[in-house]
Amino acid sequence: MEEKILNIKHLSKSFGSHEVLRDIDFSVAKGDVISIIGASGSGKSTLLRCINLLETPTRGEIWYRDENVADRKVKPHEYRSHVGMVFQSFNLFNNMSVLKNCMIGQMKVLGRSREEAKRIAMDYLQKVGMAPYINAKPRQISGGQKQRVAIARALAMNPEVLLFDEPTSALDPEMVGEVLMVMQQLAQEGMTMLVVTHEMAFARDVSSRVVYMNEGVICEQGSPEEIFGNPQKQETKDFLARFRNA
Amino acid sequence: MNIFAKLGHDIVRLWSEYAGLYLSGVWNTVSLAVLCTAVGCIIGLLCGVLNTIPFTNNDNIFKRILLRAIRIINQIYVEVFRGTPMILQAVVIYYGLPYFTNYALRFSNVWLCAFVVVSVNTGAYMSESVRGGIISIDPGQTEGAKAIGMTHWQTMTNVILPQALRNILPQIGNNLIINIKDTSVMSIIGFTEFFAIHKSIAGTTYQYFPSAAIEMVGYLSLTLIASFLLRMWEKKMDGAGSYELVQVDSLTMTAGTYSHPKRGSNYDEQSKEFRGRVKQSLKFGRNRGER
Repeated sequence: MEEKILNIKHLSKSFGSHEVLRDIDFSVAKGDVISIIGASGSGKSTLLRCINLLETPTRGEIWYRDENVADRKVKPHEYRSHVGMVFQSFNLFNNMSVLKNCMIGQMKVLGRSREEAKRIAMDYLQKVGMAPYINAKPRQISGGQKQRVAIARALAMNPEVLLFDEPTSALDPEMVGEVLMVMQQLAQEGMTMLVVTHEMAFARDVSSRVVYMNEGVICEQGSPEEIFGNPQKQETKDFLARFRNA
Repeated sequence: MNIFAKLGHDIVRLWSEYAGLYLSGVWNTVSLAVLCTAVGCIIGLLCGVLNTIPFTNNDNIFKRILLRAIRIINQIYVEVFRGTPMILQAVVIYYGLPYFTNYALRFSNVWLCAFVVVSVNTGAYMSESVRGGIISIDPGQTEGAKAIGMTHWQTMTNVILPQALRNILPQIGNNLIINIKDTSVMSIIGFTEFFAIHKSIAGTTYQYFPSAAIEMVGYLSLTLIASFLLRMWEKKMDGAGSYELVQVDSLTMTAGTYSHPKRGSNYDEQSKEFRGRVKQSLKFGRNRGER
C-alpha cells in the first residue's frame, strides 16, 4: 500500500491565451523519485512551479494529502513549508551567511529555537559537505556550492517532497557532479523528489519513474527502463535520439 | 594679502562675539536634519512597502480595492510634496492651518512645524527610492523565501528590505545632506537654524561677507562629516570581504577523555626516553627496527 502525497487532477495553466499546461494528471507517492524530462518550453518548470503554487493554476486540483491546495481558501505559505524547492538560480538570500540561510526558515516559519535551528542546519550542511563554509556569504562561494547550500536549506525544513527545478542547468560542467551526487544520496535515503532535469544519465540511473512532457501534456511516463529502453511514442523516441546524438 | 588678513580679523571678531549663537544654529540645523531624515525614511519605507504589496485578480475584491486605493493616495502624496517647493509648503502649512480653522488649530511651536514639513517632504522622496530599492531586488529572492513557506511580511522584513535598504543607503545619505542644507528655508517661518542666525547677525553687524564665510565653512564641514559617517555605515553593512573556514574538529567529541600519562613514565612527553623516541622516529621513520 503506497502512500500518496501529491495527487494532481486536470491541472491547466495559461499565460494569457497561451496554454502552457493542458489537463495534467499525475500523482506522487512517498519515496518516489520522479524525473521530468522534455524539451525547453514543454511546461516542465511551470508544472513544478504550479505544484509549489508559485504559479496559480488556471484550472484543476492539487491534492496534498487530503487537502486541495489549489483552492483559493488555502494559505499557500503553510502548504509550501511541506514542499521544498530548489531553483535553477539557487535563490540563496544574499544578505545572510550560509548558516543563516539554512536557519531563517526554520526559525520564522516552523518556530524552532535558534539552537535547534542551528543544530539541524549544521546536520544538513554537513551532509551536503558545506559545513566549513557556514560563515561565507552566497556571493563568496561557487555555483555548485550555492546549490548544495540551497538543498540543505530546503532539507532543513523537513519537507515531505523536494522539487528540483533544473538544479544543474546554471552550473559549470565540473560542478554538476557534486550536486548530482548529493541528490543521488538523498534519493537512496528515501526522500520523495520531483526533478526537472536535462541530465539524462541522472534520470536513467536514479529515478524510479520518468515523465516525458511535450507541449504541455504528459506524453509518456514509466520506469527508466521503459522510457529509455523501449519508448512507445514517436515524440519520445525523437527527443531521446536528439540527446544520444548530442 | 591685506584683504585676507582683514577677512580673518573680521571672522575672528564675529566668532568670538557670536560663537554661541552660531553653534546653537548649527545644533538646530543638525538636529532637525537628522531627525527629519530618520522620520522621512520611516515614512518612505512604509509607503514603499505598502506600495509594493502584490495582488492578483484572484484576490478578493476588498483587498484589491484597498491596495489600489493605497497606491493612488501614495501617488498623490508623492507628486504633491515632490512637485512644490519646500519653502512654500512651510508657509502654506504654518499660515494655512490657522487661516482655515479660524485660529483653532495652529502650530504653537515653529520647530514642530518645520519638523513636520521636512519629514513629510523627505518621506515623499524616500517613498520612491524605497519602491525602486524593492523592485531592484531579484524576484528569485522572493521566490526562495516563499518556497520555504515565508509569508509576504516575513519575506519583506527578513530578505527583501535588508537588501533594499543597503541599495538605497546612498540615497538616504543624499537626503541627509540635502536636508542639512535645505532646512535653511525654514527661516521663512522663523525657525532659528544656522542660516537664520547668519541673517540676524549680519543684520546687526553689517558684516555680510565674513558671516557668510563662516556659514560656508560650517555647512561644508557638516555635510563632509555626514558623508564620511555614511560611508562608514555602508562599509559596515557590507560586512567582511572574506570569511573563515570552520574546520570540523573531530577531536572536540573526545575532549576530557584523555588523561595525561604520569610524570616520569615512559609515555610522559617530558621524559628523556619519550623525547628520544620521538627524535628517532622523526629522523628515520616510525618503523625503524620493527621490520
